[in-house]
Amino acid sequence: MSETTKKRTPVKRWIVLALVAAGIFAAFIGPSILKPISPVVVLPAEPTGLAIGGFQITNTILATLLADIVLVLMAFGAYRFSKTGSLVPHGFYNFFEFLVEFLWNSVSSAAGKWAKRIFPIPATIFLIIFAANMIKLVPGFESIGRMKEVHEGTGYAPVKLFSISSLSVYTLDKAHPVEVTAAIGETGEAESESHGEVATDEMCTACEVVPFLRGSATDLNFPFALAVIAVLMTQVYGVWALGPGYFSKFFPIKQLISGGPFGAINFLVGLLELILEFAKILSFGFRLFGNIFAGALLLSIVGALTAVIVPVGLYIFEVFFGIIQAYVFFLLATMFISGATIGHHAEEQH
Amino acid sequence: MNDPVAFVAGLKLLGAGLAMLGAIGAGVGVGIAASGGVQAMGRNPDAAGIIQTNMILGMAFAEAVAIYALAVALIIIFAA
Repeated sequence: MSETTKKRTPVKRWIVLALVAAGIFAAFIGPSILKPISPVVVLPAEPTGLAIGGFQITNTILATLLADIVLVLMAFGAYRFSKTGSLVPHGFYNFFEFLVEFLWNSVSSAAGKWAKRIFPIPATIFLIIFAANMIKLVPGFESIGRMKEVHEGTGYAPVKLFSISSLSVYTLDKAHPVEVTAAIGETGEAESESHGEVATDEMCTACEVVPFLRGSATDLNFPFALAVIAVLMTQVYGVWALGPGYFSKFFPIKQLISGGPFGAINFLVGLLELILEFAKILSFGFRLFGNIFAGALLLSIVGALTAVIVPVGLYIFEVFFGIIQAYVFFLLATMFISGATIGHHAEEQH
Repeated sequence: MNDPVAFVAGLKLLGAGLAMLGAIGAGVGVGIAASGGVQAMGRNPDAAGIIQTNMILGMAFAEAVAIYALAVALIIIFAA
C-alpha cells in the first residue's frame, strides 16, 4: 500500500488549481467579455428535435436515458467485480456495497420477513432517482443546447464563439438583448412553426437556448411514473401477501353487513383509504418534482446573480438533497409496501 | 390599472407569492420533527437508526405541504 501512496503524482491538485483559476477568470474577467443571461424558467420538458416515429424525445428523456446507461454500466461493473471473488471491495465498489447494505438494512428493519421479496422494487427506484439526481448536477446540463427563436419576452442575439469545421458554436450575451413583443401575427407564428426543423440551421435573431439535457426529475412525468409504479406494486404485494382479502381494506363489506353502525363508519373509512392510495401518487410525484425543480431553479438563478463562491455551497446542498429525496422516495415506498403485506386484521390480533 | 395584461401578470406573481405562505407550516413542522428526533437520539443513542428513519419519514410528510404550495405557485405562474 505504501508504494501506491509514494507513486502518487500531484497531477490532480494541478487540475484542481487550474479549475479554480478558470473559475476566477470566468467570474471576474468573463463578464467584461460576455455577461451571463438571466435564466429562463420552463416548466414542461422541451423537445430536443430528435424523434422516433413521431414520438418527440424531450431533453428530460435524454437525461433519463443517460442515467439509465450509467446505472447499467455500474451494475455490470459491480457484477464483474463480484465475479472476481475478491472479498475486499475498493474504491467505487466499496461505495456500491455500502449503498446496497444501507438500503438492505432499511428494508429489513421495516419489512421483516418480507424484506427479501420487497427489496428489489424500492432499491431500484432509489438507484434510478439517485443516478438521475447526481447526473443532473454535471455542468452542461440545462446550459448546452440548440438555439430557438423567442416568441415572447426577451431574447438575446447570438455571439459566435468558435467553429469546428462546419459546426459553429454560439453563445448568448446579456449585453445584446432583443425585445420581442407577443403579437407577431398569426402568419408569422405559423411560418416559424412550419419551418421549425429547417430554422435550426439558420441563425435566429432573438434566441433562447433549448438544452439537450435537463434533470429528469424536473419533468413531472418522471416522478409520477415512479410513483404509479410504487403504488401499483403496493397493491401487487398486498394481494401477494393477503390474497384477495387485501381489498377488504378498501371495501370492508363484511363489517358493513355484520358490524351495525360502526360497520358503516368502517366502510366509509375504507373508501377514504382508497382515496389515500391516489393521494399517495400525488404526494410522491410532487415531492420529488418540487424539490428537484426548486433546486434547479435556485442553482440557475443564484448562478446568474453571483458566479463565484455561493453556487459551490448550493451544489453541495443539491447533492445532499438529491440523496435525501431518493432516500425519502425509497423509504416511503418501502413503508407502504411493507404496510400492505401486513394488513389490517393481523395488526389487530397482535 | 391602465394595462389589464400587466395588471393580471402582477396579480399572478402576487398570488404565487401568497401561495408560498404554506411553506411556513411545513418549516415549523420540519423543525419540530428535527428537534424531537435529536432529543430522542440524545436520550437514547442506541436507537439512533430507527429514530432517524422515522424522523426523515415525518419530515417528508411535513415537507409535502410546502411542496403542494410550490406546485400551486408554479401552476399559478406558468399554467393559469
